[in-house]
Amino acid sequence: MARLVVVQQKQPSFSLLPSSLSEFNGIRLNNPIQYKRKVWQAKGALQVTASSTKKILVMGGTRFIGLFLSRLLVKEGHQVTLFTRGKAPITQQLPGESDQDYADFSSKILHLKGDRKDYEFVKTSLSSEGFDVVYDINGREAEEVEPILDALPKLEQYIYCSSAGVYLKSDLLPHFETDAVDPKSRHKGKLETESLLTSKGVNWTSIRPVYIYGPLNYNPVEEWFFHRLKAGRPIPIPNSGVQITQLGHVKDLAKAFVQVLCNEKASRQVFNISGEKYVTFAGLAKACAKAAGFPEPEIINYNPKEFDFGKKKAFPFRDQHFFASIDKAKSELGWKPEFDLVEGLADSYNLDFGRGTFRKEADFFTDDMILSKSLVLQS
Amino acid sequence: MATVVSSSSLIFSYPTPNLPSPSLSSSPRLYLSSPHLSSSHSSSLSSSISISHSFSIYPISSRRPSLSSFHVKASAEKKKVLIVNTNSGGHAIIGFYFAKELLGSGHEVTVMTVGEESSDKMKKPPFNRFSEIVSAGGQTVWGDPAEVGKIVEGAAFDVVLDNNGKDLDTVRPVVDWAKSAGVKQFLFISSAGIYKPTDEPPHVEGDVVKADAGHVAVETYIAEIFSSWAIFRPQYMIGSGNNKDCEEWFFDRIVRDRPVPIPGSGMQLTNISHARDLSSMLTLAVENPDSSSGNIFNCVSDRAVTLDGMAKLCAQAAGRPLKIVHYDPKAIGSDAKKAFPFRNMHFYAEPRAAKEILGWSSTTNLPEDLKDRFDEYLKIGRDKKPMKFEIDDKILESLKVAVAV
Repeated sequence: MARLVVVQQKQPSFSLLPSSLSEFNGIRLNNPIQYKRKVWQAKGALQVTASSTKKILVMGGTRFIGLFLSRLLVKEGHQVTLFTRGKAPITQQLPGESDQDYADFSSKILHLKGDRKDYEFVKTSLSSEGFDVVYDINGREAEEVEPILDALPKLEQYIYCSSAGVYLKSDLLPHFETDAVDPKSRHKGKLETESLLTSKGVNWTSIRPVYIYGPLNYNPVEEWFFHRLKAGRPIPIPNSGVQITQLGHVKDLAKAFVQVLCNEKASRQVFNISGEKYVTFAGLAKACAKAAGFPEPEIINYNPKEFDFGKKKAFPFRDQHFFASIDKAKSELGWKPEFDLVEGLADSYNLDFGRGTFRKEADFFTDDMILSKSLVLQS
Repeated sequence: MATVVSSSSLIFSYPTPNLPSPSLSSSPRLYLSSPHLSSSHSSSLSSSISISHSFSIYPISSRRPSLSSFHVKASAEKKKVLIVNTNSGGHAIIGFYFAKELLGSGHEVTVMTVGEESSDKMKKPPFNRFSEIVSAGGQTVWGDPAEVGKIVEGAAFDVVLDNNGKDLDTVRPVVDWAKSAGVKQFLFISSAGIYKPTDEPPHVEGDVVKADAGHVAVETYIAEIFSSWAIFRPQYMIGSGNNKDCEEWFFDRIVRDRPVPIPGSGMQLTNISHARDLSSMLTLAVENPDSSSGNIFNCVSDRAVTLDGMAKLCAQAAGRPLKIVHYDPKAIGSDAKKAFPFRNMHFYAEPRAAKEILGWSSTTNLPEDLKDRFDEYLKIGRDKKPMKFEIDDKILESLKVAVAV
């Protein structure tokens, strides 16, 4: 039913707030880039329960996951507002996105400008607006959630982007949603947020991704490999290289986020969301090469204990097995990843790095430390 | 339901999936006759196995088809089941647990063990406990699978499980006889060892298998002859009545305060299931022939464990300290195969088809199960048994590791 509803073009009068606190975006025209690769479309048919039009607030939404999620939600016919400080452009044409689609999206997406750490502002702006559903894509600490919940007593669903990083490290894998979590992990803020949501009366859903990848990734995951492959450099991998990790494509993740909207199966549930298959570190290096059309790379294994890299990160993944089962999301939500690893990496490469765009400049400082040591050992 | 707890114990309960409404089966099949495969499948629609490079793939793409589940209703019908069971090795235990579970559910069971009842092999578990099958109402017979019809004296069966053969020569006579005798459902214990090694674990049903594996020829043949068939690919098992050492290998060293030599990094993942997981999956297949028909099932628990992790869990179960020593298996030459009970590489399959299609769930709980296993280990006095560790000593010598005498 959502598809039949025409979202009204909002006029500045929508905002009862001072104009400096809300902004709208015009249509940004760009050079048309034909979307040649695998066309990814929101498959509304996948939704188990089609929801009626909702007034949705996205905390964040202008960097990575939110770019794809907000588009899907707008396409579904929902009224979507992004809550950001406005540091990043509210809309940007995505690589591969047609002018028409972008224009359509830009004309419909709304912006609420503010700092989510300004709890008073959050409370007043949200309560005056009223939202049916909140997607919290960038929340880190539990206290950030309180003002949102206080402002929206009739909230139908709070959908939170948590992290599989909350799981307690284990010799028994994969991680299932029922596994023990680590109250001391780097992601304990996510855990505390989940606990808070559980303790409040609100209907909530928590999504735990593993490593997310895809075009416009601001975390140098695949980019780290692409830089080295492009430079024709060997890939330094800590220890054995048989450590197993898991990547999930951002577009599949966005679809999962849409799938839980107004879905009673998702009520007060946690879901791991990532790729179907896992991958070894060495395997990932090869998959990146395959996806981007580079020859199979030379892999150099090293013992990280023999180096002091200082503050620099010598490898983009935690040096351990880290992967989670997506069985629950598949069976409860009818969701499944569309991208397999090489396809997904190709999508990322073709739409991002392969076009000359990336977030972090190549930095081979730690690579050179490792390589010079192994050269010394060889000679 | 999400539980946010901070205890360090692992919670093994797994919610039973709500099965959505039935849809057409799209699970991996050896035959490609179904029209609903997506156009992304690039394989040819033929009934032969296509060989690519040195590997065989079944004529579907290795990409998993979309999730579909059936409403699984256990048939109230009682079945007459024949289990053709191997007389040795890691798989022997499967027939033992399966027989007992079927009998417990009211089915009729005959276990035909290969060879002779008087053979020395029958003095070892699980065979030395076959009285348990008999007292539960089952039949036990012995003989050559090539003469199975004669051995069961013309009895009629609804279901046959071949838990014996690893190649076509051994299984073909059983399949042929079963077909001619009007058996409706044929089940086969294959092996997850036939999956082609991959950089992208886990092995899931439909993944490429090694063309030259004997089991593959058997699987193909069964699919050609029977319309109702199911194939089960197990890994390693623990459980009382095991014919082959699994956890015992670790206990032997741990109770004697010997270092545990583990090849490679110790990070390799494997799957060690309690035998009851396998028998519950097989029983579900017997009771749901329509759902299980035409499917391959990885017959394993739903958790992988690292080699180091297994050693740690065994030590915890034994309540004793652990010292792990890693070594390069290449450095010890031909001893490598006998030096360690598991494959020295990632060997990790997941039971996705069983969960999706049969609504099966795993109950293996290694930390708890290993405690039970250790209790039995002590009860039979194996901790006091004098043992030699020749290969271990060779390894330790090469690594210059001291052993407490």
